[in-house]
Amino acid sequence: MCAELLPELITTDPWGYPIIAPGPVPRDLLPLARYAVTMCPTLALLLTRAERT
Amino acid sequence: MTGPALAASVSTGSLAAGGLPPEALVVTSSTPLWYVTRATGLIALVLLTASMALGLLSSVRYQRPAWPRFVTIGLHRNTALLALAFTGLHIVTTLADSFVPVKLQDVVVPFVSAYRPVWLGLGTITFDLLLALAVTSLLRTRMKYRSWRLVHWSAFLCWPVAVLHGLGTGSDTRVRWVLALTAACVALIAVLTAWRLANGWPSHAGARLAGAFALVIVLIVGGAWLTAGPLQPGWARRSGTPQHPVSGGGKPNSTSPADGTAGGTSGGSR
Amino acid sequence: MSAAGAVSAGPAGSALPPRGLPRLIPADGPLRLADHVERYGPVPFRDRRGHGGRFGAAGLIGQVERAGLTGRGGACFPAGRKLRSVAENGRRAGPLRGQSGAVVVANGAESEPTSAKDRLLLTFAPHLVLDGIALAAEAVGATRAYLCLHESSDKLVFDLGAAIVERDRVGQNRVPVQMVPVPGGYVAGQETSLVNQINGKAPKPAFVPPRPFQKGAHGRPTLVQNVETLAHIALIARFGADWFRHLGPVPGPAVPSAPGSGAMAGSALVTLSGAVRMPGVYEIALGMPVGELIRRAGGPSEQPQAILAGGYFGGWLPYARAHDVPVSDPTLRAVGAALGPGVLILLPESACGLAETAWIASYLASQSAGQCGPCLNGLPALAEMLAQLAFGRPDGSALGGTERLLALVTRRGACHLPDGTAAFVTSALTAFAGDLRRHASYGPCPRARRRPVLPAPGHAWGAKP
Repeated sequence: MCAELLPELITTDPWGYPIIAPGPVPRDLLPLARYAVTMCPTLALLLTRAERT
Repeated sequence: MTGPALAASVSTGSLAAGGLPPEALVVTSSTPLWYVTRATGLIALVLLTASMALGLLSSVRYQRPAWPRFVTIGLHRNTALLALAFTGLHIVTTLADSFVPVKLQDVVVPFVSAYRPVWLGLGTITFDLLLALAVTSLLRTRMKYRSWRLVHWSAFLCWPVAVLHGLGTGSDTRVRWVLALTAACVALIAVLTAWRLANGWPSHAGARLAGAFALVIVLIVGGAWLTAGPLQPGWARRSGTPQHPVSGGGKPNSTSPADGTAGGTSGGSR
Repeated sequence: MSAAGAVSAGPAGSALPPRGLPRLIPADGPLRLADHVERYGPVPFRDRRGHGGRFGAAGLIGQVERAGLTGRGGACFPAGRKLRSVAENGRRAGPLRGQSGAVVVANGAESEPTSAKDRLLLTFAPHLVLDGIALAAEAVGATRAYLCLHESSDKLVFDLGAAIVERDRVGQNRVPVQMVPVPGGYVAGQETSLVNQINGKAPKPAFVPPRPFQKGAHGRPTLVQNVETLAHIALIARFGADWFRHLGPVPGPAVPSAPGSGAMAGSALVTLSGAVRMPGVYEIALGMPVGELIRRAGGPSEQPQAILAGGYFGGWLPYARAHDVPVSDPTLRAVGAALGPGVLILLPESACGLAETAWIASYLASQSAGQCGPCLNGLPALAEMLAQLAFGRPDGSALGGTERLLALVTRRGACHLPDGTAAFVTSALTAFAGDLRRHASYGPCPRARRRPVLPAPGHAWGAKP
């Protein structure tokens, strides 16, 4: 379902599990990313703050 | 809930003059609040049914090109919150309505009210469960997933109890279209539950069989109770509608308050 | 190799450091406590005021860092760095209900079926391991320790229990050591699996972060270390980092900052099996060429084809390629394999490398903890693909499908199982590319029909997790 909400960053593998694009979430997609994390039926997604390297 | 507003009123002025007659005429409350209570109750039931249906749809991962999964989940969430809102309204009008003796404690403590204690109590339980479901779901990301899921299972208790509350407490159970509406809700949820049982838990055949069994039993027992209970005359008295004292004058009406209404002169059903 | 048994007491009751090999495994049989103390000297704990030990307060961690000791459990992570992190986190976490910050977990579960060194070490030199536990506990400020063992080894559990009691009687343990029986299963011996078991949960890997060195057993910073690593720590504490590194013809300079310099220092236990004349556990100086080790084991027993280095998360190497590679993690990784928990298996010409890989891929798929969709679904699909490549007549799409699956399972699980399996399979596709072409043209080879060389305890084709 998260792939529906955030197709820019998430695709599904053949078994329905999310494949997340590497790299940080672009700022304009952040609210949608937060929504996807909250709505995931199994709470499988996590939004973390990237560390500054 | 249609029909002429009955403006019967009772004077209690002479109550102090003597003891209470053994049986008394109970009078319809015709205040707008009572109508609002019944209306919000029905609407809340419909919304709760919709939410339950969408939840079941989500659990079978229903999906069509024009209906992605997030629509199911989003609508499920919104109808649930709306149902909660209407339930809140339904409770507020009940409390504000001076006619039925429902107190604040009856909102959260079941089976202690003076008015149809069992059936109102079911409404209390519905509200308590709705609160638990809503609060845990709003705090979903801050609690353990397993705890949230455990609480969310109580939806399978909340919805049937709400239906029973409506049938048992409601004044309109014998009204045809209300009965039809309730039946439609029950049918919808029954079908969707059967679908969910057929599709879920591939590795737990025992649980699925038990669930199917439970579904059938609940439907049969529920139907039997309905025909023997609320659909029979005299339900209002049997369910514990309190008798109201009336002023003297004339023999008390020896028949119990009429069918299905929260006390009404006959012919007063909507 | 000079016998380490011929040691005489040095000044002040300390023992002279063992020269050459073996260091860990006594050549004359299992050592009881009294003999152990006589051979190696007393455990150099700090005194009551926290001074002394051989290198003073915080000295042990510094020595282990200087020695460049890397973990011997498979990941080859620098042990000194792990000790330091746990010590710091323990200090920061502070005492809880009177206990100080950290916990020590000794991993002797040895879930890798191809490895036998930990069992051997615990049988022959239990007190070295227990010394290591005690010293590590002192260094990180722990007040309890756990020793994890495979639950099937009754005798080992019994003997180790007796050894612990013997040490308790003379105050040699410093912290209470509790034994933890670990069920069989490839992922049961993983560090977060062990922590989960200690915390009373199922023996399955946990999602990280937090890693055990941050938050592990009972929520405390936890040091999880292989038993061989702890045994090395026990010797470094007595004889120092320079002694540790000085092995073989050229003494390694102590340059801890140089990457990889630690991974080639000191000795390591290696389990050598497959088509060699004298299979078993050997203690070698890291950096010894593979061919040399095989020669010492009597040479190949059949015509050798390839070597599996690093166990089931390691990689295949054609024999000619592997022959001159020094045994150490960085050098083996540079050629597409790994050291892992010190495992080398010689595959003879009479076996089919693809068939063996398909067999083990099927085993690893059945070992999934079932917590992550990509592993639970992807590994059986991968095993299925490999079975086609090994026993069928693969067309071009089979190889493409396999490569797509390999990309789908990597870095998508809570533990290393899908990644390790993918690395193992990838190396097979490279090393046995010739076999792949032959299978595509002529169908499966008759060599595929022989009994598997690689062990998969309790596994049958098509077993599910």
